Amino acid sequence: MDLRLTEEQRQIADSVEQLLAHASDSARMRRAAFEGGGFDAALWSQVAELGACGLHLPEVHGGLGLGVTELVLVAEAFGRRLACVPWLESVVLAGTAILAIDDAAVAARWLPPLASGEQICTLDLGLLAGAPLEVRREGTGWRVDGVLPAVPAALAAHRLLLPVQDGQDPLLLAVALDAAGIQRRARENQDATRPLVEVSLQGVCIAAADCLARGAAVERAVAFARQTGAVVLASELVGAAQQCLDLTVAYLGQRVQFGKPLATFQALKHRCAHMMVAVELARSAVLGAAREFDERPGEVRRLRLATMARCLADDAAQYCTQEAIQLHGGVGFTWEFDPHLYFKRAQAARSLLGVATEWRERLAATLLDEVAA
Amino acid sequence: MTDFGYEQFRAEVAAWMSEHLRGEFEPLRNCGGIGDPAYVPRLAKRWEQELARGGWVGIGWPREHGGRALPLSQQVVFHEEYVRAGGPGRLGHIGETLLAPTLMAFGTPEQQRRFLPGILAGTEYWAQGYSEPNAGSDLANVQTRARIEGDHWIVDGQKTWTSWAHESDWIFVVARCEPGSQRHHGLVMLLVPLRQPGVTIRPIRQITGASEFNEVFFDGARTEASLALGAPGEGWKVAMALLGFERGVSTLGQQAGFEREMACLVEVARRNGASRDPVLRQRIAQAAVTLDALRCNALRVLAQDHEERSGVPVSREAYIAKYVWSNWRRDFGRLAADVLGAAACLTDDGDPLAQTLRQVWLFSRSDTIYAGSNEIQLNLIAERALGMPR
Repeated sequence: MDLRLTEEQRQIADSVEQLLAHASDSARMRRAAFEGGGFDAALWSQVAELGACGLHLPEVHGGLGLGVTELVLVAEAFGRRLACVPWLESVVLAGTAILAIDDAAVAARWLPPLASGEQICTLDLGLLAGAPLEVRREGTGWRVDGVLPAVPAALAAHRLLLPVQDGQDPLLLAVALDAAGIQRRARENQDATRPLVEVSLQGVCIAAADCLARGAAVERAVAFARQTGAVVLASELVGAAQQCLDLTVAYLGQRVQFGKPLATFQALKHRCAHMMVAVELARSAVLGAAREFDERPGEVRRLRLATMARCLADDAAQYCTQEAIQLHGGVGFTWEFDPHLYFKRAQAARSLLGVATEWRERLAATLLDEVAA
Repeated sequence: MTDFGYEQFRAEVAAWMSEHLRGEFEPLRNCGGIGDPAYVPRLAKRWEQELARGGWVGIGWPREHGGRALPLSQQVVFHEEYVRAGGPGRLGHIGETLLAPTLMAFGTPEQQRRFLPGILAGTEYWAQGYSEPNAGSDLANVQTRARIEGDHWIVDGQKTWTSWAHESDWIFVVARCEPGSQRHHGLVMLLVPLRQPGVTIRPIRQITGASEFNEVFFDGARTEASLALGAPGEGWKVAMALLGFERGVSTLGQQAGFEREMACLVEVARRNGASRDPVLRQRIAQAAVTLDALRCNALRVLAQDHEERSGVPVSREAYIAKYVWSNWRRDFGRLAADVLGAAACLTDDGDPLAQTLRQVWLFSRSDTIYAGSNEIQLNLIAERALGMPR
């Protein structure tokens, strides 16, 4: 496996990082998070202009026809700047799910507005799921009732991809979020950079044409999106962990105690070195997983790759965000300094696509339980 | 997996291995080499010569020195297939991967002509004379002395932790050639024959009970005046350059060995029921994906090497490589012992899989100490990669 990056790949990563370093610096990011409901519409337009919404979507549908490798390169910048845009939700999760349905008509209808960024989609991940939604046939379509307690980006989004069960029949519905019978309420969220929204559906009518997939294709598409999403989310976390490391090294370099910069103390240098070890190993895992995803591996291999990226990035983000707070000392506990924003993001990300223990257990089952063929 | 287009080469290596790692060499199959009591050095040397005849030694060396000048990616394929086929740990790697590149960079044409062929043929073996009782992590505190007397260097002092000195013919020694010099000044790198009256080799018994490491005493030991590698006084530069030659290629061979150990652990866990313990399941899965990540990291280092021109600083992934693999293996060793349960300490069950895991459990304690301890690695990462002040 060749992990060299092409010049084009570097340029894509650089262009997004350059945009976000300015347009989502700490002050702007905080404004979007705390005053803008966690959505920066102007930034979203700029991201879309760069082509970042269509990276891995086919060129015939307005995308760039690239792969997961490009997604993770860009995701690192989104994570590093905690950019308040629903890129992961719309492009990566919804976009990949639609791609994975593998139906030309569905792709032709739904992907072009996603790729251009004109339309924002999100995918219900079943966070805090309580009672299943009630789904009844009505005419040629369906009528849906129930509450989704926490859907990411559902205020900014226009459409919600909703996997449901119609009796024994799995469906993937594309619900217009401004439809009659839908109420949305932003949840109070410690991670204000990735808003979660309670979505109530009361007698919401879904036309047959808004059903994207049925049967086994639904689970396949959602699983594929979750696995790809896990790798891309891992890259976001690498970016977040890297930013924490950079902030910490800079702070220790300028903070003087006992007559010298804290950065000269070996105990603290080793802590930073540990942070870098975690970040770089996770980054290697993410790059390796992404590169192999682009070679279309089978189901078991995908699970293993996604678990690798997910688990190592989770560890790196947990460790680095916690250490950033600790090594900043008292100011690390203040609202004014950034480490807490990353700490909260890292925690929220842990349960977004299944916790690491679930991923590991699924992998363990493939390693330890299967009878050799 | 894309294969850089080396499928044919891969098949060639696999075919050669299955044809040659048999007969008298059968006992070496899957031998770990260093740390494995089943490893018979005399046989291992014949195996090195077999490899040499097959053209598998020095595959990355330039042609002018008798190598095959294969690109890094192709060398990786060789190492992977070598381990996959059960190839044993290599006895000649100190000469082949450490000394030889240093000879090519700093040696005189006479030195190159004299020593490279023996390394390439698997007939001359080298030991590394760096560490001393008072110069471990603090290597610049070397006290071994060297002085010119007539047409010879005379060496006095002591080296330690010298792997395979008792099976080697030559040793490269960092010694102080300018009396009164301090730290990394006034050092020389000398090529010294081990089999001579002035050299005494005493094995050190390790926590495994076996001995690959030795103390090497120099008491008026002699070597020809022409056998300084690089200029006298510049030994530090040569010594550091030598360490720099140990790049990612062999780590992928090592990686394949770790994967073999992982498969061994899974097999034992399934067999003895440890695979039903929910906590061990989590640890095994974590070990498996971390091992995968080590491979990704090594591939990242190699990808960088492809692009690097000399003078480009070491990449960040290269800085963490030693720390991450050694700590993975140490953790893996503990996991292996926990999977074994009571059998971790009972060495007489005649179970080869369990024996492999027991070896890893103990031997992996050394991985985080030799070749730059954990603590030194963290210093390097902090000061060189992160640019924190010394």
